[in-house]
Amino acid sequence: MAAISPQATFEGDVFSAPLVHTDSNLLTCMEPDYKPFIPANSLRRMTRLLKMGLTTALQSIRDSGVEAIGPIVTGTGKGSLQDTEKFIREIEQYKETALNPTPFIQSTYNSVNGLIALQVKGTAYNNTFVHRGFSFENALLDSMMLLAEGAPNTLTGALEEMTAEHFYIKSRIGFWKPTPTDSRQLYDQLSPGSIAGEGATFFVLTGTPTPNSKAVITGFRMLYKPTAAKLAEGLAEFKEGIDLVLTGRNGDSRYEHFYQQADTLFPGIPQLSFKHLSGEHDTAGAFGMWLAAQVLHTQQIPAQWFPMLKALPATINRVLLYNHFYGEQHTMIVLERV
Amino acid sequence: MEDLKSKLKAQIIEALNLQDTKPEDIDDNAPLFGEGLGLDSIDSLELMVLLERQYHIKVEDPREGRKILQSVQSMADFIQSKQPA
Repeated sequence: MAAISPQATFEGDVFSAPLVHTDSNLLTCMEPDYKPFIPANSLRRMTRLLKMGLTTALQSIRDSGVEAIGPIVTGTGKGSLQDTEKFIREIEQYKETALNPTPFIQSTYNSVNGLIALQVKGTAYNNTFVHRGFSFENALLDSMMLLAEGAPNTLTGALEEMTAEHFYIKSRIGFWKPTPTDSRQLYDQLSPGSIAGEGATFFVLTGTPTPNSKAVITGFRMLYKPTAAKLAEGLAEFKEGIDLVLTGRNGDSRYEHFYQQADTLFPGIPQLSFKHLSGEHDTAGAFGMWLAAQVLHTQQIPAQWFPMLKALPATINRVLLYNHFYGEQHTMIVLERV
Repeated sequence: MEDLKSKLKAQIIEALNLQDTKPEDIDDNAPLFGEGLGLDSIDSLELMVLLERQYHIKVEDPREGRKILQSVQSMADFIQSKQPA
């Protein structure tokens, strides 16, 4: 697995990397040097999201030790916004004539999938899910079904970028906090809205554990706009033996009650939240899954990222990841130690 | 003509984001595709757009396009042939 995020997750040691924070309501990705991953002649044409997505996918394949990648399945809420914005701006500027082909081609949601397939010479199933806060989760569900049908492995991931224009549009409809908020204080300053983020996260999934496996997915459920009773029922299904609850809490007072419901259902079980690390976006759940797998694999928690951390169990065998996107798309994933 | 070729080289570098290339690195007669700059089919479309936006010349026939985009020299010759005397 691999992740490019606002934190130093791609290179180096996550346990010594300092906590990256912001007071501008936007967490931007720490991007690596792409040259070792992408040929210069291809790199010149790619915008940020394409570089981030392709590089994370390639690093994830290297990390897995898998030689031949099977199906490539991704999720994205918005795809390459930079290309989409450029293409739309040029339609207006040049009165629908003389339009550059590159931003048009790359503005399609599945362009990263295509680039990955070209780079690894993958000719298997290739699909991108665009379902807002369920984009990554549908990619994950599809991958699990492909594995159940006999696929040797899947490359499964999520990608999202934030642009100045998109940040502004979303701020107009109340996605972000109206005043600058220190990301370190995100959970203490409850008010409408959250802080924005972005990221690319990839996993190589297999039907049975391999020597390189980091964690096992043993439970998965998606709920769309659940009532309090339905949510309680869904969370209760995964109550058994949980050592740590990882939530997508994001400081938004309008939807905090969902996470408070999880608090009451898991009394005494340690809980951590990850949106002060990743920011909020359609596929932030993929970062949560990366973090859960990282904790299970290393049996450590990057302490500098969680100054609120008090005590943890000696061993962490089972983690429940609970995330929702602005109260609509709710996801529960149980990950266990291999 | 020399001014036109220099301008064209700078425009090609900008349009195709040829980061490590300088105008003086491009030989007037070197092929733009395959060898030389190593451009591909998407680049050829970008160069057609460049001609349309910067010189208001629309290349309608793709076979004609292949000849025009052979080198900086052939592009400059084509642009000059389309300019009013």
